[in-house]
Parts: sequence; structure tokens; C-alpha cells
Amino acid sequence: MVVVEYAGLKINLDDEGYLVNPDDWNEKVACAIAENEEVEELTKDRMDIIKFMRDYYMKYNFFPILNGICFQVHQQKECVKKQFMDPLKAWKIAGLPKPNAQVVGYLRGEGGVV
Amino acid sequence: MATKLPKPDELAKIDFTPPETGWMDTPVEIKPGMFCWGAKAKNLRAVEFPNARDWSPAEEDWKLPGEWEGTVLEAMADRLSKYRSFKLFMDICVRCGACADKCHFFIGSGDPKNMPVLRAELMRSVYRKYFTTPGKVLGKLAGARELTYDVLKEWWYYFYQCTECRRCSVFCPYGIDTAEITMMGREFTNLLGLNTDWIAGPVANCYMKGNHLGLEPHTIKSSIEFFLDDIETVTGIKIEPTFNRKGAEILFVTPSGDLFADPGTYTAMGYLMLFHELGLDYTWSTYASEGGNFGYFTSNEMAKRLNSKIYAEAKRLGVKWIIGGECGHMWRVLNQYMDTWNGPADFLEVPKSPITGTVFENAKSTKMVHITEFTADLIKNGKLKLDPSRNDHLKVTYHDSCNTARGMGLLEEPRYVIKSVCNNFYEMPENTIREQTFCCGSGTGLNASENMDLRMKGGFPRANAVKYVRDKHGVNMLANICAIDRATLKASMEYWVPDVTVCGTHELVANALVMKGEKERTQDLRLETLPGKEGN
Repeated sequence: MVVVEYAGLKINLDDEGYLVNPDDWNEKVACAIAENEEVEELTKDRMDIIKFMRDYYMKYNFFPILNGICFQVHQQKECVKKQFMDPLKAWKIAGLPKPNAQVVGYLRGEGGVV
Repeated sequence: MATKLPKPDELAKIDFTPPETGWMDTPVEIKPGMFCWGAKAKNLRAVEFPNARDWSPAEEDWKLPGEWEGTVLEAMADRLSKYRSFKLFMDICVRCGACADKCHFFIGSGDPKNMPVLRAELMRSVYRKYFTTPGKVLGKLAGARELTYDVLKEWWYYFYQCTECRRCSVFCPYGIDTAEITMMGREFTNLLGLNTDWIAGPVANCYMKGNHLGLEPHTIKSSIEFFLDDIETVTGIKIEPTFNRKGAEILFVTPSGDLFADPGTYTAMGYLMLFHELGLDYTWSTYASEGGNFGYFTSNEMAKRLNSKIYAEAKRLGVKWIIGGECGHMWRVLNQYMDTWNGPADFLEVPKSPITGTVFENAKSTKMVHITEFTADLIKNGKLKLDPSRNDHLKVTYHDSCNTARGMGLLEEPRYVIKSVCNNFYEMPENTIREQTFCCGSGTGLNASENMDLRMKGGFPRANAVKYVRDKHGVNMLANICAIDRATLKASMEYWVPDVTVCGTHELVANALVMKGEKERTQDLRLETLPGKEGN
């Protein structure tokens, strides 16, 4: 467990940087995690992606299709990679729990999907 | 933790010098990067697999149950009496060595225990000790040895370095199916809770939610809706597929990986476009939502349990027959096991294409037709309007999936389909395709993240053949008909032959398919601008 301090807040992250309690999330918490992930600024485009991921997860209990995110938030294809380098960084900033190993393997380019 | 993956030029330096000691006297070394993490207790518990506990292959203590030797030997006796093939394969090898250099893991690793003959000998030696008179009396002299903790570890390590691809069997003068020996090895170790989490996780997901990824019904629908948005962008056509629709003529089943990960997602878009264009009376199912079967990599019983939902759903919906998508091991299971496990499917009809009238006699028993058979028949009968020039920027080669090629003899249909939708097609060398195809290196549930060293070694022979056609003909696209191929060849191409992309066959079909009422195509399914359409 890691405790990150940001603008007077204390936020609990696990060893891989995922928010321990997803219910603690708000935009300020997102900024704290972003700093921890070395994402410089949460621009509107980035925040749109993060909010979409959160809404999607709450409704569908899964990681959304990457191209689908870009279509829904009206950004160019591969927007998640362009904005965050690694889609898992965006997922962490959205305060969501670590996806299963198959999803992580796919997002890392190791082709993990079964 | 897994070690860092070496660079390709380092991994390509393969040492074929065998150890100085004999194989029985060379203890197994469990090397990081070469194995998958042990199955978590929660995933074993979900399907009531034995000895559910968290464990690590990297640790000395594998937390085995008491009397484990008895459990294995009892199971071995049972399977020897039940499966004549297993008994035969234990008895008849003459160690001619024809298989030795045919295995992609041996070629890529140089480890003699990856020679199929020696991998099988790991089990045969134990068989001789407990089930043959010479072995019981003469012991090591007769090639027999006791089942010890170290032997068990050696089994586990090497039976999870075999993808059951059956290339070695093609060259065996006796026709020994070494994959069946690996399957037994996995079945026995599974009885002790020695599974990998990469397999146990998807098995648990599939049992609880219907598919390996753990997609819930509304999530499956949502994934497909994402595809429909992209299809509309590319073609201007709004497609409205149905889900769980009773009374549909055809049930469509495909691997769940294609509902989430590129490039499989483009293959799934291809199915949607093709079926829409035909006006096919078909339905997706959110219950039978997995064509693949990771249970097949654990035990016969588990594979049967996971497979049962396909016929159950076909019956519930009242369809006439089933079409299956592009997948590898899914088709070994469907073609060779399904009707004896969960059939007879006498409530279904012999598949007959509603478009061409062709009766698929080959699927008379299973009632399930491979999508490339279905599409090849459509093309042969002139039912599709195709513009292959849309794929002219691609120079395509085709990777035969082990299971569809060697497991069901599906060699011509995919090639016929690809050649009909692409103008530039080049075969890889003869001894690397068709029934001699090289495995992707990551099948049978070995496509995890922590064993990339093993995967890239095993993927080397296939990648080398791709490199050959890239250098000779400028090939830039590796087509296939398998979801695991789409996921794993992408990784091995990025590692070994970085300028070659991977795609499913129906992505190529849909790009070439001229649809009624479509707008001028300026993009392909990946939303990349087609050559010559830059200004549009």
C-alpha cells in the first residue's frame, strides 16, 4: 500500500498504483493519481476519457473497447494511447480496480486475450 | 517475478548442446519466463477443482495434497483402461527420433526435454515402473523410474511447454499423438491442484459468466454496439443484429476474445457485415458466448462441462444449425469431441446454407459449420459481390492454425476465401504450412504475460517463415482463422518481424465485400484510409 498526498488529501493506492477504494474517487483524487502516474495534466480530453471509463465500468463491469471509447468521446482513433501512452494509466486515474490478467496482457501488447 | 525478455538477437542464439548427464539424472530447473503462475484458490474453487489453494511454481513447496502419488497412479490406471489410444501411445514408441526436431519449442529452446519423444518419455518411464512387468522388475534398466516429487515437477514444467499442436505426430511413423500424452499429463497434475492461473481464471469465468473474459450479457451487447458504430462510419450502413432470439434459423458462436481485443474485433465486425449483407436469419447468444474451451487444457470432464452450453442454447432457441467463428482449439473440440460428449444433437438439422442450398455433409453429426466453409461456399456460388482491390495495399500470407489444419483438415477453404478477397497472396515455405504448420507458440493456454520467454522461443519457427515471405515478397499481413493466433501472433510479430500485421480472415472479407446501399469506402475496418482515397 502507498499513501499519496496531494493538495491536502491522503489517498491510498495499492502497490501497482490502483486506488484501494474506488468509492473514494473524485476529480481531485484523479489529479493525485495522475501525478503518481506521471501524467502531467488532466486536460478536458483526458478527463472525458476517464469519465467515460468510469461510467462504462459502473454499468458493464468491464474495460471498454479502446476504439469504442474514442468514438463515444468524439476523439481520434487510438485516443487513449495518444493521451495516456498506456491505457492502464487512464484506468488507474479513473480510480478503477485492476482488470483481469487477460485484459492487462492485451493492453500491454502481449496479446493476452483468450 | 518473470525475468526481462531478452532481445530477439539474443533469444535467437539457441544452444543445442545437451547436458552432460543422462536425462533421468538431469533434474528439472524451473526457470522464470518459462512457466505460468500457479492457479489461485478462488479460481479452482469456482469449478470445484481439487486442492484449491494459492501456490507458486517458483517455490520449493507446491502444497500438494497427502497421498498425491496414489492419486496420480490411480488416475493413470483409470485412463489406461478407459482410453486405448493412451495405452497404445505409452507402449509403442521405438524412439526413432523422427519427431525430435519437429517441435517448435525444441527448435526455439534447444532443451532436449522439449523433443516430443523425450517429453513423452517423462511419462512413459513412470508408466513402465508401475504398469509393466519389465519396468517393475528391471527398473531403470528397462527405462522405468519412480514417480517422485521432482518427477512430478518435471511433468508439470514440460507438459506446460507443449501446445498440443500435434506437428510431431505428423512425422511419427506410428502416428503417436503426443498431444494426448500432454493432455493426460495436464489431467493428472490438475488432480493435485497444479493448474495455471492463466487457464484456471478463464475456466472459472466461463463457468460462471459463459465466456473466458467474463463478459456479462449486457457487456457483450455493448461490445457489439461499439462495432456497429464503426461499421456505420465505414459503410454508412446501420446493422441491427439480434441476441438470444428464439426461432432464428442459425445460432452463431465465436470466441469471446474477438468481442474485446484488436485485431479480433475487426474479424467480429466482418461476421456482422457478412451476415447482414446476406440477410441471414441468425442470432448471437449471450449464454453460449464462448466458442473456445480452456477447460480442454485442464481435464476431459471440465471441457465437456464448458462445451455443453452450445447445444443447450441451440435447443433452447430452437435453431436449425450452428455456425462457428474463427478459432483454433474451439474447432478441435467441436469437430472431435462435442457430439460424443454432449450429443447427439438430434434436435438440429443437417446444416444447409439458406443462400446456396449447399448441404454441409461433413457437419452431419455435429451440426456446426466453420465460417470459412460457409463463406467459401458463398463465394464459389457467386453470392458475394467482392472488390479485392480494396485489399491491394496488403501482401498477405496465411498461417494455418494447428487445430483447424491438423485437427479437422481445413486447409483449402480459408485459402480460397483469402485469394478471392485479396489480389496479393503468398504462401510460406511448404514445410511450415498446411498439415506441417508451425504453432504460434502460445496455444493451449500458454499465452500469458509471465512466460514471454517461452512464447517467443516457441513462436520463433513460425516467425522465421513469415520473415522469409516478408523478405522475398514484401508480405505485410499475416492472416489466420484463430482468436489465440490473432492475439499471440501479434505479439510474436512485434518481437520477431515487426513490420508484419496480423488479421482474421473475415476482416479481409468484409473489407472487400461490396454491400447494398453502402457509401463509397474510404476507410478499412481499422478506420485507416484506403490507398488512393486520401483526399476523400
